Amino acid sequence: MIAIAVKLLLRNWRSGALRLVVGSLLLAVAVVTSVALLADRVERALTEQSATFLAADLAVRGPNPPPPVWQQWAQQQGLRASRIAAFNSMVYAGDEMHLAAVKAVDDGYPLRGEVVISEQPFSQLAADWQPSRSGPPRGQVWVDSRLLPLLDVALGDTIELGTTELTIGKVVVTEPDRGGSFSLFGARVLMHYQDLEAAAVIQPGSRVRYRFLVAGESVEVARFNQRLSAELSAGDDQHWELITPERAEASIADTVQRGRTFLLLAGSVGVILAGVALALASRQFADGQLAQVALLKCWGVGAGRVRRLYAAQLLLLALLGSAAGLLLGWLFHAALLAVLADYLPASLPAAGGQPWLVGAATGVLALVGFALPALWHLPGLPPLAVLRSDIAGSPLGAAARLAIAAAVAVALLYGYSGNLWISLALLATLAALALLIATLAVVLLRVARSAGNRLGGVWRMAAANLWRARLHSQLQMLGFAAAIALLMVMAVVRGSLIDEWRWQLADDAPNHFLVNVAPYEIEPVKALLAERNLSSAGWFSMVRGRLVEINGAPPPADLKERHESLNRELNLSWSATLPENNQLVAGDWWPADLTLGAGEPIPMSIEVELADELGLQLGDQVTFSIGGLRFSAELVNTRALRWESMTPNFYFLFPEGVLEEFPRSGITSLHIPASEKLVINDLLRRYPTVVVIELDKVISQIQSVVNQVTQGLQMMTGMILLCGVLILYAGVALSMPVRLQQSALLRTLGSSRRTVLRIQAVEFALLGGIAGLIAAIAAELALAAIVEQLFAGGAQLRPWLWLAGPLGGAALVALLGVSYSARSVGVPPLQLLRQLD
Amino acid sequence: MTILQAEQLTKQVAVGGDQLRILDGVDLAVERGASLAIVGASGSGKSTLLGLLAGLDQPSAGRVLLAGADLSGCDEEQRAALRERYVGFVFQSFQLLPSLTALENVALPLELRGQRNAERDAAEFLGRVGLGERLSHYPRQLSGGEQQRVALARAFACRPEVLFADEPTGNLDTVTGRAVDELLFELNQEQGTTLVLVTHEQGLAARCSAQLTLEAGRVVATR
Ligand SMILES: Nc1ncnc2c1ncn2[C@@H]1O[C@H](COP(=O)(O)OP(=O)(O)OP(=O)(O)O)[C@@H](O)[C@H]1O
Ligand SMILES: [Mg+2]
Repeated sequence: MIAIAVKLLLRNWRSGALRLVVGSLLLAVAVVTSVALLADRVERALTEQSATFLAADLAVRGPNPPPPVWQQWAQQQGLRASRIAAFNSMVYAGDEMHLAAVKAVDDGYPLRGEVVISEQPFSQLAADWQPSRSGPPRGQVWVDSRLLPLLDVALGDTIELGTTELTIGKVVVTEPDRGGSFSLFGARVLMHYQDLEAAAVIQPGSRVRYRFLVAGESVEVARFNQRLSAELSAGDDQHWELITPERAEASIADTVQRGRTFLLLAGSVGVILAGVALALASRQFADGQLAQVALLKCWGVGAGRVRRLYAAQLLLLALLGSAAGLLLGWLFHAALLAVLADYLPASLPAAGGQPWLVGAATGVLALVGFALPALWHLPGLPPLAVLRSDIAGSPLGAAARLAIAAAVAVALLYGYSGNLWISLALLATLAALALLIATLAVVLLRVARSAGNRLGGVWRMAAANLWRARLHSQLQMLGFAAAIALLMVMAVVRGSLIDEWRWQLADDAPNHFLVNVAPYEIEPVKALLAERNLSSAGWFSMVRGRLVEINGAPPPADLKERHESLNRELNLSWSATLPENNQLVAGDWWPADLTLGAGEPIPMSIEVELADELGLQLGDQVTFSIGGLRFSAELVNTRALRWESMTPNFYFLFPEGVLEEFPRSGITSLHIPASEKLVINDLLRRYPTVVVIELDKVISQIQSVVNQVTQGLQMMTGMILLCGVLILYAGVALSMPVRLQQSALLRTLGSSRRTVLRIQAVEFALLGGIAGLIAAIAAELALAAIVEQLFAGGAQLRPWLWLAGPLGGAALVALLGVSYSARSVGVPPLQLLRQLD
Repeated sequence: MTILQAEQLTKQVAVGGDQLRILDGVDLAVERGASLAIVGASGSGKSTLLGLLAGLDQPSAGRVLLAGADLSGCDEEQRAALRERYVGFVFQSFQLLPSLTALENVALPLELRGQRNAERDAAEFLGRVGLGERLSHYPRQLSGGEQQRVALARAFACRPEVLFADEPTGNLDTVTGRAVDELLFELNQEQGTTLVLVTHEQGLAARCSAQLTLEAGRVVATR
């Protein structure tokens, strides 16, 4: 039984009837496996880290240096303790510089886990890595590999940080508490806590994130936790936040889960398209099996045995196809990893069994849902079919097949996302989109047909062919339109969108921000700039504080969870007049000469969108905590900002004379022409605590991030395009008998080989052209949404899409289609006619 | 002993609301080891009758007894079992599977029966119909007559009790046709195979032990 099933399968494979079936299956499995593998490995990397995620058993996070008394408490409890300060700062070597993510750690660090270092920059070999139970010694820094080429230095060289010089001792591969957010911008510089003072990079008002870590017996840690919590709440000190490993883990798990769901849902678009191809290919396969089944029935092979024979073949196919799909998926995931390497941890743990299971289950389910229904009627074929070719059994109705396919699609989506609601919503969205595209396709097909009739000749035949098989035409267009639209969107986002955004800025728009300028440095910095004929867009001062109460009560927990701005320090500034580029939305601006009497509420202005999100109304009382001092203000107006103005913008503004006595820093923006770029070096050498944000570099960094991410996405799109090609091939294969007949007929009637080929070329070009047109429409819509969301720019049409879409689609599909269907033309007509009876 | 018997066999089909009577009260009986030729003009119902006798189709009225079993009293599975046991068929349009070689086409029914050495047997029968050199050729690489002979080899190889053949020599030139006739009757002699043939060839019909002439679905003459 199995032996004969294997034999039948091999012969079917040899005849080519199974190639498309297997191809679609392979692709479906490969798409899912690759994304599942990627997600699983990243997830494992993160969870593995999260055990040591804090590098401690408890961490206290806040904006100020941890009070020394905590150290004593920890000692009393018999706990080990450590301090960390993290901030961004410029580092230099010669004329090169980089805004680094600096982390200063003391001798205790890390309390849990290990710092992994290496003497081989960029090495991916675990053999080159050494675990270290401590941070760098004084006078040394350990840095990310990528800092070395950025500064043009090697191990053993020195870099300048603030007012000190530090030697690069090692390359740091990872730290236990690097965090789930793989740093996209600044390269890591790990230094010793006690070098901070000499560097003098931290000034009042600087943005520094401090951590106090403890580790030891869990009972003692709990006791320390209690003591500290009690102390903090007694002092009503909301600047400090206690983080336990569980909390850290939960927040990572959440991010990871969301990422994986997204990836798998994206992959499922590919699976569904592959499923369509699989269904078409299976129909064709079933048609080809009719003769064989009729013969078997005639020879007395019972329906049950026929069913078992085909079930065995399908099972074998599922196993082999899935196995090959898993392998392909693995290769593909390796390619994806290579593209995204910069943003992933250097070493990823091996994947578990689940992704393989997900891939294999996809293979089996896809066959059950998309292939089996097409073959379902075969065992019931009456033996008389062998005598009468008009008997083709009774295939499952379209409605039944659609229902089965939809059920399987939901099952697959549910398996990927673990969320029935998301699965149903996604399927409904896809179905609605498909319906829309299909409708558009049919309208365009009708147009093509009437145009074809007018043009006559080759055009008439081609358009009529498409129209006759319009269901297949629609499906094929669906696949291609989806893939082409995705390609277009990515091409635009990757290149022109960022450029467009950059060029929207005026030539002399500010391209640098100076941040963290101490009050006593402002005048000398101004003087330095004036000396170089550089004018700044005006100076602003700001102080950093937390929002702790709204109308006398702490913000509700759910709002706090949702809104990042309630969990970090905010920039508060002041102005006598409404700043340029700001627009009053509600309320009135305060008079320029406002003087506040004792007990009078302090007025405050908030950016309108933030006020809405926080549920703030005019007249609400908001309380801030600044360096431990509390201070309340009343919301009197809201403003709209123009972020693209490239001048400092503030969410919170107060009148003059309110915040001045708090530790503050200055901020300004200015245009520095490329020829004057060296002024930055002078400035930073003289005022090492000043942070310069070079927008041009930021933009190019964004560009490179977008590039790599779109490269990854493009590979996914490539898979989707392949699914489209499969649908095309499956459609052509299904229509092959009709094509053969038509071609034979045309050729016996005297048409040349070239004419027949031309009809086919025009037919496929029309198909691709219409798909490209639909893709252009879809891409424009998607781009309008993206521009609106990300770049806050106005919508605009991209004429080249409307040209490239239809032309590219036509060329691509014509090439693919003709190359596949041309064999119907090559055969002599006589043989064709003979084969047909 | 009668191996095949038909009583008042009638077949009607609905054609656009009208009842078309293709066969009308056909009676016949064939002894084991005998040979019957069914002749008649094109469209007289020969292939239809053959299909009914072989149990491929159900009559509208009347019954067929094959090896003593009433085919109309059986369900499809039981008929399948009877066909597997007794029946071989050579089709008017060959019904070779285009994706299989000549050898595989002949071996397939043997393999399905789980017969050992299926391919050796198949090769031997292909040799007997003169295609020993064409084993690995596909049907499309064979001429119509060669395809016909492959179909015959396939039927012979199963060594059926009753062989139904629909115009087995219809596509063959006289010489090859003769050779096929010889083969059929050799089988009939050697293995006692009962032959039921539809043919236009007077020579072939004459060699059969009995002959039945159809005209518009009715038996008009027997010999
Ligand atoms: N299912 C059917 N529906 C309609 N007409 C049918 C059906 N089956 C057979 N016929 C008709 O019945 C008649 C007899 O058909 P049959 O194939 O038995 O003829 P035949 O004697 O074998 O002819 P030939 O010598 O050409 O092969 C034909 O006219 C055919 O068109
Ligand atoms: Mg006939």
